[in-house]
Amino acid sequence: MDFDYENLPAVRVTNLVKRYKNGTLAIRRLDFTVRKGEAVAILGANGAGKTTFLRQLTTELKPTSGTIEIFGLDAVREAGRAKLTMGVTPQEAGVFETLTAREHLELFGRLKGLGKAAARAASDELLEALELRAEAKKTVGTLSGGQRRRILVGLALIGAPPLLILDEPTTGLDPQSRRTVWALIKRAIGTGTTVIFSTHYLEEAENLSTRIAFISGGELVADGSLAALRARLPQKYRLSYANGSGPFPQPRVEFFETFAGAQQFIGDRRIGEYQLATVSLENVYFSIVGERIGEERAFEDE
Amino acid sequence: MNKRLNDIYCVFRIHLARLRREAGPFLLAALVFPAGMYLFAGAVARQTEAVVSPALGRRFLAASMVFSLSLTAISWLGYLLLENRFTGRLKLFATLPVAPSSYVFGILIFALLQGALGTVSLLAAARFFGAPAAPDGLTGVAALMLVVIVSILALCGISVIVAARVRSFSEGSLYTDALGAGIVLLAPVYYPAESMPAVLRPLGWVLPTVYIDSALDKILAGNPAVFGELAVLAAMAVVLLGAGFRLLDWREE
Repeated sequence: MDFDYENLPAVRVTNLVKRYKNGTLAIRRLDFTVRKGEAVAILGANGAGKTTFLRQLTTELKPTSGTIEIFGLDAVREAGRAKLTMGVTPQEAGVFETLTAREHLELFGRLKGLGKAAARAASDELLEALELRAEAKKTVGTLSGGQRRRILVGLALIGAPPLLILDEPTTGLDPQSRRTVWALIKRAIGTGTTVIFSTHYLEEAENLSTRIAFISGGELVADGSLAALRARLPQKYRLSYANGSGPFPQPRVEFFETFAGAQQFIGDRRIGEYQLATVSLENVYFSIVGERIGEERAFEDE
Repeated sequence: MNKRLNDIYCVFRIHLARLRREAGPFLLAALVFPAGMYLFAGAVARQTEAVVSPALGRRFLAASMVFSLSLTAISWLGYLLLENRFTGRLKLFATLPVAPSSYVFGILIFALLQGALGTVSLLAAARFFGAPAAPDGLTGVAALMLVVIVSILALCGISVIVAARVRSFSEGSLYTDALGAGIVLLAPVYYPAESMPAVLRPLGWVLPTVYIDSALDKILAGNPAVFGELAVLAAMAVVLLGAGFRLLDWREE
C-alpha cells in the first residue's frame, strides 16, 4: 500500500457537518486530528454524536459537508482505498451465525486482502488471543453474546490494519472478556496502530487512551490527555466520606484545589473514614460537559 | 487470485455455509413445496379428467420448477438479504474494502447454485413420481441451464430491490414471501391464461414467471429453441438487477 503512514496524520477531519434527511443536525462543524500511534477515546452521552462521527470516519455515512482524510486519502471520494487502512468494529453489527468462529475470521481476513495461508494463520493467532481457541470449530450462532462481540473485535484486528475504529467495542462483555479485549487493543497500540474508540466505560478510556475527546451535541467540547483535562478543573482532589453516624450515614463528596485543603477539611470535621483521590474522569467530564456519560440525550434540531 | 474474484468467492462461501447448515428450509422451498404443488395440480386435474395428458403433466412440472426458482430466488434469498441488512451483517461488508458489486455477484453465484440444486432435485423427484418429461439430450440440458441462469438473475433482481428499499425486516419479509409465491400463482403457469379474470391477464405480459414457464415447458417437450423467452428474461434481468445495483448503496446519506 502506498500510503504515507509516517508523515501524514492518521485522521484529519475538517469542518465536518452531518445533517440527517429528517433535519437532525448530528455533527456541527467538527475539526479533529489524530496523529499516527495515538489512542483516542471518544466520550459522550447517548445521542451526543459519537457513532455518527465514527460512522463517517469508517465511510459508512456520507458527511453533509466538510472533509475527512484517512492517511491523506479522501474518505468520501477514495473510500475503497481508505478502507484498506482500517479495521472497524461497528456498534451494532451482526455476525454470520452459520460460519464457525475460525471460518468467520478467516473469510473476513481474506476480504481484507490476506492470502489463504496468511488468513488462516492470523485467525488462529486471534482465536488464541481472544480466548476462543476452544470455540474455533463451533458455529458462531452457538456462542454467547460476549463471545460473538469478541469475534467482531477480531474482525477489526485481523490483517493488522494501521487504524482501528471501534464503536463501543466492549459493550455487553463480562469483566474478564473486557480485559481480554483491552489486552488485544493495547498490543495493537504497542505496535504503532492508531486507535479511535468510543466507550461508556471510563475505566476503559483511562486504561487504553493516550487522549480523550468529549463530544456533546455534535460538537467537540474538550480534547486532550487525561492529565491535561484534569488540569482544566480548579479542584484537583475528590474527598468521599460518610456524614453522621448510625446505620445510615449520608454519603458526601467534596472537591478541593489542594491536597492540604482536603487534609485541613478532614481534620476540622474529624472525619474518620474517607477516600481522598485525584478527581476522576467522570468528574472532569461532568464538570466540562454538564451531563453524565451514559445519559440519554436527543439529537438537537436546528 | 484477483481481489474482485477473491471477494466474490468469499461472499459466496459465507452464504454457502448457511446452505450447508440450513439445508432443511432450503429443501422445503426448492423441492418440497413445488413437488407438493405438482402433485396437488395433478390431483385437481384428475377430478375433471380421467387421465392427466402428457402435455398437462408437463405444464404442471414446468410450473412447479418455476415455483421452485421463485421461492428460492425471491423468498429464501430475499430473506437472507434482508437479514444481512437489518441484523447489521451488511455493515461488516460495508466497512471492508469490498465493492458492493462483489457482494451482489457473490450472492448471485450463491443463488445460481441454489437454483441449479432446486431444479435438479425437482426433476429427479418428478421422475420418481412418473413425470412424463425431462430435457432432451445435451442441447436440452444446455437450454435448461441457460433458462435457469437468466431466470435466477431476473428473480434475484426483485430480491435485491426489495431488500434495498424496504424500511424494516418485517415489511421486507412480507414482500419477499408474498412475491415469491404470488408471481407464480398470479401468472398463468399452472392454468391457462384464458381461465384468468380479464383484468389480470396483462400480468401474463409482465411477470418473468410466465416467460420462465414457457421456456421450461418447451424444453421439457423436447424443443430447446427458446430464444424469445431467453431474450425477454435477459432484458428483465438487466433491468431488475440494474435497478437493484443502483439502490444498493453501502453508504447512507
